[in-house]
Amino acid sequence: MELNRRNFVKMLIGGAAGLQFTPLPWKLTDDIAIWTQNWSWLPVPQAGEFTLEKSVCTLCPGGCGIEVRKVDGRAVKIEGRTDYPVNPGGICPIGMGGLQLLYNKSIRFTGPMKRVGPRGSGIFKDISWEEASRMLTARISDLRKNGKPESVAAIDGNPGRSTMAMMVERFIKAIGSPNYIRIPSIEDTYRMSNIIMQGTEGPMAYDLENSDYVLSFGCGLLEGWGAPGRVFNAWGNWHEKSQKKNIRIVQVESRASNTASKADRWVAPRPGTEAALALGLAGVIIEKRLYDDEFINYNTFGFHDWKTADGTNHTGFKTMVLKNYSPAQTAEITGITPDRIISLAMDFIKAGAPIAIYGKGKGTLNGSLYECMAVQTLNALAGNINMPGGVIIHDPLPLNPLPAIKADAVTRRGLNRPRIDQAGSKRYPFSNSLVNNLTEAILKDSESPVDTLLVFSSNPAFTLPDHGRFEKALKKVPFIVSFSPFRDETANMADLILPDHTCLEKTNDIVWPTGLQYPMYGLARPVVEPVYDTRNMGDVIIGLAKRIGETTGASFPWESFEEVVKTRVMGLYNSGGGIVDYDGSAPAWKQQKQRGIIDQGYASFNDMWKKIKSGGMWYRPVHTYKNREGLFKTPTGKFEFFSTQVETAVYEYSKQVSRNKALKAFGIKEKGDMAFMPHYNPESAGKKETAYPLLMVPYEIINLCSNWIPGPPFLNKTLFDNELRGNDSFAEINPATASEYGLKENDRVIIKSQVGEIKVRISLFDGAMPGIVYVPSGFGHTAYDEFLKGKGVNPNDIIQAGKDPLSGQPVWWNTQVQLIKV
Amino acid sequence: MGLMHMKNPANSRKKPSKGGLFFFLAGLIPSLIIGWVIYPMVLYSKQAQPINFSHSIHMNPEIVDGIEGDTEIEKCLYCHEFREDGTFAGIPKLAKCTECHDDPDSALGESEEEKKFLSKYVANEKEIPWYSYYRQPDCVYFSHIAHVKMGEINCKTCHGDHGKTDKLPVYQANRLTGYSINIWGRNIAGYKTNTWDRMKMDDCAECHTLKEKEGNNACFVCHK
Repeated sequence: MELNRRNFVKMLIGGAAGLQFTPLPWKLTDDIAIWTQNWSWLPVPQAGEFTLEKSVCTLCPGGCGIEVRKVDGRAVKIEGRTDYPVNPGGICPIGMGGLQLLYNKSIRFTGPMKRVGPRGSGIFKDISWEEASRMLTARISDLRKNGKPESVAAIDGNPGRSTMAMMVERFIKAIGSPNYIRIPSIEDTYRMSNIIMQGTEGPMAYDLENSDYVLSFGCGLLEGWGAPGRVFNAWGNWHEKSQKKNIRIVQVESRASNTASKADRWVAPRPGTEAALALGLAGVIIEKRLYDDEFINYNTFGFHDWKTADGTNHTGFKTMVLKNYSPAQTAEITGITPDRIISLAMDFIKAGAPIAIYGKGKGTLNGSLYECMAVQTLNALAGNINMPGGVIIHDPLPLNPLPAIKADAVTRRGLNRPRIDQAGSKRYPFSNSLVNNLTEAILKDSESPVDTLLVFSSNPAFTLPDHGRFEKALKKVPFIVSFSPFRDETANMADLILPDHTCLEKTNDIVWPTGLQYPMYGLARPVVEPVYDTRNMGDVIIGLAKRIGETTGASFPWESFEEVVKTRVMGLYNSGGGIVDYDGSAPAWKQQKQRGIIDQGYASFNDMWKKIKSGGMWYRPVHTYKNREGLFKTPTGKFEFFSTQVETAVYEYSKQVSRNKALKAFGIKEKGDMAFMPHYNPESAGKKETAYPLLMVPYEIINLCSNWIPGPPFLNKTLFDNELRGNDSFAEINPATASEYGLKENDRVIIKSQVGEIKVRISLFDGAMPGIVYVPSGFGHTAYDEFLKGKGVNPNDIIQAGKDPLSGQPVWWNTQVQLIKV
Repeated sequence: MGLMHMKNPANSRKKPSKGGLFFFLAGLIPSLIIGWVIYPMVLYSKQAQPINFSHSIHMNPEIVDGIEGDTEIEKCLYCHEFREDGTFAGIPKLAKCTECHDDPDSALGESEEEKKFLSKYVANEKEIPWYSYYRQPDCVYFSHIAHVKMGEINCKTCHGDHGKTDKLPVYQANRLTGYSINIWGRNIAGYKTNTWDRMKMDDCAECHTLKEKEGNNACFVCHK
């Protein structure tokens, strides 16, 4: 009976045999199989009640209608709304992926914080809202007490017309600082172009859906320009077989983007020469006398040569174009053959309802002002201004203005100080913000003129061309406050974080989606309870102002941001006639063309407000076409080919310096009358630099966030292997250029400009123009998590930003570079 | 020498055979105990429900008259309701409780459980984190409305006489799979005597077959 080896084995056999007569092995096998299905990292759908919430996407100024699917209160999917007039059903991939921006803690801030690590490290400590507000208001109050309220500055990326932007501007002004600085966007270019040529304040309204010939100068129609859902829908309509009309889309762009590849015709001028092409087309139309005589003769100024009262002869647009932009001359500049220029011009002008539209990719950044104006002259020649299918001139949306701010002596004194960025000054009379000038002003003096910088809904340390200089400027600013909901590059430089809600958590409005042809107001409402300890920026501003007190507080008599929105929306009600629902049966663009009568969908203001809050929309698809009486509000009352306002501005500035110096200060190379007309500036195509023989052109794609919003990690999966591989992003070059440099597909290269260098891999692309290096925008974050940080490179790192003539905004599309094989 | 040789092996064969059975049993019996008794004890965790809800009180019209319904099933559905879209709500949300118990300060009763319900959940508008006894894996699609309304199956058939209990049973979760013990069944060997004793795939199929709905045993009916 001793436990020897043999008996031990027997015991084991007994044990093993015994186990077979228990459920253990069988149940264990079953359980292990199930266990493998339940690992903690496997995504499991939420169980619970399904609900759908309707709202509006505010991730870009397009404002598409969205429907959020929720399970047990948790948002699980974002889809396009079919009952929204802007985008009947479709949205862009960023809008769909936006869900990840809501929950992802590594992308967003979960509560107010103060910096404890060095600037840029992203090391923060949680603090309370009370402490955060106290820190900021104490600082602002001190500056006001010391009579330096103007050293508070704000950088704001909220869409220009939005109530949120208005709140930020009001806050800064109520503190007593004129330094409210906006992030540049294509809307600036539209605004200035409309003011200069038409004298109108309303937004650019392109009646794309009713047009039968869309000549797009650089608009990324399929890359997310305007309201992406709207453009996709229009694109679908254009290509419907049932359409009787033969609708043609022409894309003018040096690279074969998605839009260019899918367009009926692709015209690829050298980047930066688009203005010359537009004027070349104008030249053909003028030479063949195919322009709209009636419009030109009765509604325009500066087309023909004229003599002023004092006997001075002036060159008109017609003479200027014929002299400088003949097909041969244009071909020389743009690289498009004279034949193609002529045929394009003829196709355009002979179409029933042609429209020439202007943009640069998505329109995240500004365009070139003269270029935009040159494109607009084509619409004038076609006589399609304020015509169906053309460029429609509307008044701005009739929202109530907010009452004037209350100002004490400190505020008044501060507001009388010149703006740091000089926007709106005699030198930059048409711009309302110049963030590039702000950067230079901060860098110039030993002490930063900005003491406290507030950053709202923007990430300039990532999105600005040559953001390196901006970051350098940030380092000099003593105190930076970020209101960003995201842990972005700029927020990482901040000393204090007062995080805003993200898109799905807050009330926010979209005042006229970019490029839309009818008046439209979209209201986004919270579709989920705030996930973290964040607050609506509008409410925070009201709270801060009240805490600062004095006239600053008195300028914000409202209890909540929603109250402000409601106050403004009252203006829509008072203006009469509007629709607050959409069932898809009558597209708004069709309704507007047919000049239908509005069947107002509300009985009282409260009824309307209730409906706007739940439906998220107010729009008015009626318009008086053709009527051009009093339409143009330029000094001449006409559409100005020759801008009297620019002439006056140069004259005003030349009181301080000579006329030539004034022109030079404006960045205008031309000396004569041409300076006041849309013209091509050879510098916009880049300077000839032998050491940097190539041109780098950034480009945008639909599934990459190039604006201040972090890209939802979902979208990484949608990128092709020649867009992002591991941590490498790609630059597209033409095979001919590649062979010149001995480069093959996937080779690693350094793209070097005078500002810096970036490392990419090469993707050979026949659709790339020889001599140009195309680098996608939206990669190369240095903030966020493993899905964004260090993924690819950001072309903004090495952009050598020049200044756009007249507007003074950054020129970001023509950096001279060289390629070095690694 | 030869004999010795002959005997010795026989001796050595006999000796260990007696002790051999002992050791065999010494292995066998503990392993049976492990398999039948200890293993189930170790495999399942035990959690008490956050509140001890009494179904029997709520189903008794003499005590509670707010629960409407002519039949037993209608009474069940009063709280365990179908949503407008036909999906089954399962365990009611707090909002359902507060349809009747809306006042956190009301003197609902004296029991500790009721006090806890009012002070911890109703007063704070916090959902009660109930444990669900019958949650199926995510890979299983199950429609209550198809079974209850179309199939006219009583709640009891699958869930037992839960509605008559005075105390909620202790929730037991399989430590490996995370699923409730009610899915595999309380009997570790998987024996069942009642229809509600177990809720595995075979049980679904058994009932489908019994009701001549073999077509519903196709994989994709539940594993979509």
